[in-house]
Amino acid sequence: MKHVIIGAGAAGVTAAVTIKTIDKDAEVVVIGEERFFPYKRYLLTEFLCGSIDEEEIIHTPGESIKEMGIKLRKGQYVKAINPLEKTVKLFHNEVMPYDKLLIAVGGRPGLGPVLRPFQKHIQPYYSLRDIMVLKKKLPDIRKCIVFGDGLSSLDLLCGLCNLGKEVTYIIKGKRADFSLVESEFYGELHDFIEKKGIEIITEDRLISIEKVNRHYRVSTLKQKSVTADIIFAWDYYKPNIACIKETNMEKKLGILVNEQLQTSEQDIYAAGDCVEIYHPGIKDYWINFGWPNALEQGEIAGKNMLGQKEKYKVHDAIVFNLMGKSLKARWWK
Amino acid sequence: MNYTELSIRFCGIAGDGVVSSGKILAGACANIGLNVMVNDIYSAEIRGLGKSTTTVRFAAKKVYSMGDGIDLLVGMAAKESIAEVKDVKPDGGVIYDTSTPGDVAEENSLAAHIPPELHGYGVPLKKLANAASGTNRGKNLVAMGALCYLYALPPDMFIEHIKRLFGRKGEKVVESNIKAFQFGYEHMEEHYPLNNRFEIAGGLSPQASISGNDALAKGAMDCGLKFFAGYPITPATKIMEIAAKELPKLAGWTIQVEDEIAAISAVLGGFFSGKRSMTATSGPGLALMSEMINLAVMAEIPAVIVDVQRGGPSTGLPTKVEQGDLNIALYGGAGDSPRVVMAPSDSEECYTGIQLAFDIAEKYQTPLIFLSDLFLGQRIETVVLQENIDRERCTRKKPTPDQLKNYMRYQITDDGVSPLLVPGEPGAFYTITGLEHSITGNPNYEPDVHGMMTAKRYRKFESMKKDLPPADILGDEDAEIGIAGWGSTIGAILEGMEIVREQGIKSKLIKSIMIHPQHEDSFREFFASCKKIIVPEMNYQGQYAALLKSRYGIMPIEIHIPAVDPVSPLKIARKIKEANHELSK
Repeated sequence: MKHVIIGAGAAGVTAAVTIKTIDKDAEVVVIGEERFFPYKRYLLTEFLCGSIDEEEIIHTPGESIKEMGIKLRKGQYVKAINPLEKTVKLFHNEVMPYDKLLIAVGGRPGLGPVLRPFQKHIQPYYSLRDIMVLKKKLPDIRKCIVFGDGLSSLDLLCGLCNLGKEVTYIIKGKRADFSLVESEFYGELHDFIEKKGIEIITEDRLISIEKVNRHYRVSTLKQKSVTADIIFAWDYYKPNIACIKETNMEKKLGILVNEQLQTSEQDIYAAGDCVEIYHPGIKDYWINFGWPNALEQGEIAGKNMLGQKEKYKVHDAIVFNLMGKSLKARWWK
Repeated sequence: MNYTELSIRFCGIAGDGVVSSGKILAGACANIGLNVMVNDIYSAEIRGLGKSTTTVRFAAKKVYSMGDGIDLLVGMAAKESIAEVKDVKPDGGVIYDTSTPGDVAEENSLAAHIPPELHGYGVPLKKLANAASGTNRGKNLVAMGALCYLYALPPDMFIEHIKRLFGRKGEKVVESNIKAFQFGYEHMEEHYPLNNRFEIAGGLSPQASISGNDALAKGAMDCGLKFFAGYPITPATKIMEIAAKELPKLAGWTIQVEDEIAAISAVLGGFFSGKRSMTATSGPGLALMSEMINLAVMAEIPAVIVDVQRGGPSTGLPTKVEQGDLNIALYGGAGDSPRVVMAPSDSEECYTGIQLAFDIAEKYQTPLIFLSDLFLGQRIETVVLQENIDRERCTRKKPTPDQLKNYMRYQITDDGVSPLLVPGEPGAFYTITGLEHSITGNPNYEPDVHGMMTAKRYRKFESMKKDLPPADILGDEDAEIGIAGWGSTIGAILEGMEIVREQGIKSKLIKSIMIHPQHEDSFREFFASCKKIIVPEMNYQGQYAALLKSRYGIMPIEIHIPAVDPVSPLKIARKIKEANHELSK
């Protein structure tokens, strides 16, 4: 049986390993858009700061993938799925048949219509490639601007702070708070960040970026002008599900799956940051974001692709560590 | 990753511009002073969209062989390129076309065959070529732009070369080719981080590059070739093409005849009339020439026969290399039929060696077989040709006035060489025949005469030995492991020796362009200084090893590679290490 997995992140690779562990004769193809072996995305900032090296960030090294007989396609992506023909079409027009398909493409930060025209001036901060590019730029960077919500921005602030950079953090809200379930900050996250030397501009947003010599000048809605050596910005983080565009697969923000992580299309499963699962507590679908959830979903999806009937139980929050203090945050509430 | 040498292979089908890709890359590298070697491999079928590859290896240091493996595969035809992926070194890359029109089945997709330890680079080659020029034809330039970025090579080295190469086709062609190059470069820049760098040392001067066949043809013409007769055969045809184009400019003449027998016959006629004459063929052609070579032996007519060896026997592997014609060159004649056999090891030796060949053939009035091979003949390498060689030309031994009074064409002499007059010269009246003859040239079958004339014909070879320079000995003089190589295998041997030297293992090489006869003292002394002797060659039988065994009484470790690809330096290195291991027991 041929199992095709779209996405070589935590969920995808865990599913692949699960399948091969249970059925070593199964054919497993993992298609990953990134050009690296599967890595631990949650350690990217530590890698940026140099507290871990490239080897430590790798989640599943090449030798393990080879030993398990998993066919990993690096640097490739699926542009279309044909559930009737049971095939996927890759970006280079290769058509690959499958018996069971798992979509584990994750999510990604994006820019809204205001900032999109300035994309070329914005340093992406999402993938290992982004971090490698950023690492090369670090010696020339003194001042940074961060604009964006979510734990990723906290993570980035933490990294830049540790690297001794001057940081200006621009937020839309009155205070730098998040949908925290519980934390050691007791509602004082904003003050904590400020005490670390980070300048916070509240109730404002970036509206334009201009390159001036080797620097960038940003303008805000409240007509402030700030200059920096590098700009980090995103408006949202959402599932990356362009590959299902031409299908009738049920979706909201992400792909809708049942507790067994099956989509509305036969023999197609989905797992990780790209799926929404019904949450009985809030009586709606929601995304269980984060690494531990992706691992769990990947394992369950792998088992179910082999015919098992394991169910996934939704989780409320993820745990995050910010400069030595822990917090739990809700996502996609 | 930093590179000091790179090996890049283009693979495609007819019309993909595979061979021109190799030429563009090689030319651009040579222009900035890098050492280059290029090897083309193509299918034997003339019709249809056969697969072809060209591999370019370049470095600041001298490149002696095609090395082992490739750093980058540029797959311009997906299905055909799949088989080449196995040659890509770990951590190497594969460029594949992402703009193939229509669906591609998984089994025919190059991207599907790139293992995760390699880096795949999807580039819309056709799409970008079309955007640049309106046709697919510039996709090799798109690929060139992509690899330029990939290894951080200076774009100017390509742009300047494109201008030079396409300048005569007009500004529009230059412009669209540069645009295709730039599109490839920009695509890579946009999609892939720069992780590699080819380090180019400063102070390098532009280098000339030439193929073995080109060097050989040039060498022949530079030493007085006046007549070429031939019949086309892969991989020797290029020599005839050059002769056809260039010889008339030198008051010479090239004729394409009906077959190889006619070709060698014409060459004997040319030399008999006093003109330096040559033919070029490959194994099947040499087999056909056998009887006329015997006539040259018997009638003592000089003849230079170039054999650009390919895989055999019979039609064999017309587009693959092998060193399988040594035996027919040495022994392929009826009766006691001595002939000179030479084998150059690189383009430089093709140039200088063919000149020596003419001198020997003419001085000793003997046929001479010059064994090149497909790899050597077709590969392009950067060389410095020692043109206008300052050495006294060996010319015909002329009769003295006394001898002329009663001219004997086959006069018995100490060195076996008789004074020679050509028809038209005063006194040049004699019989010439394939029959055994007396000193006048008239047929004579007496046993004593046959013995005397046979001895005379062989005596020339003893005299010749005294003329030969000692063989070249390279490597560590005090090494106990010695290698005897010949022809184009020499390059791989040198690089194999370098690999083991870096691991602290000493070895040395004896090489001579002369296969028969040889400067035997050099070989005897060399073999006496070795505890282990290795003889690598590209044939199944070990033909050179057999010659050395019978001539010098050695018992070498033989490496027989009935090759289709040039020999791998790693294979040589492994044998040297094995020999070293045995010695250290």
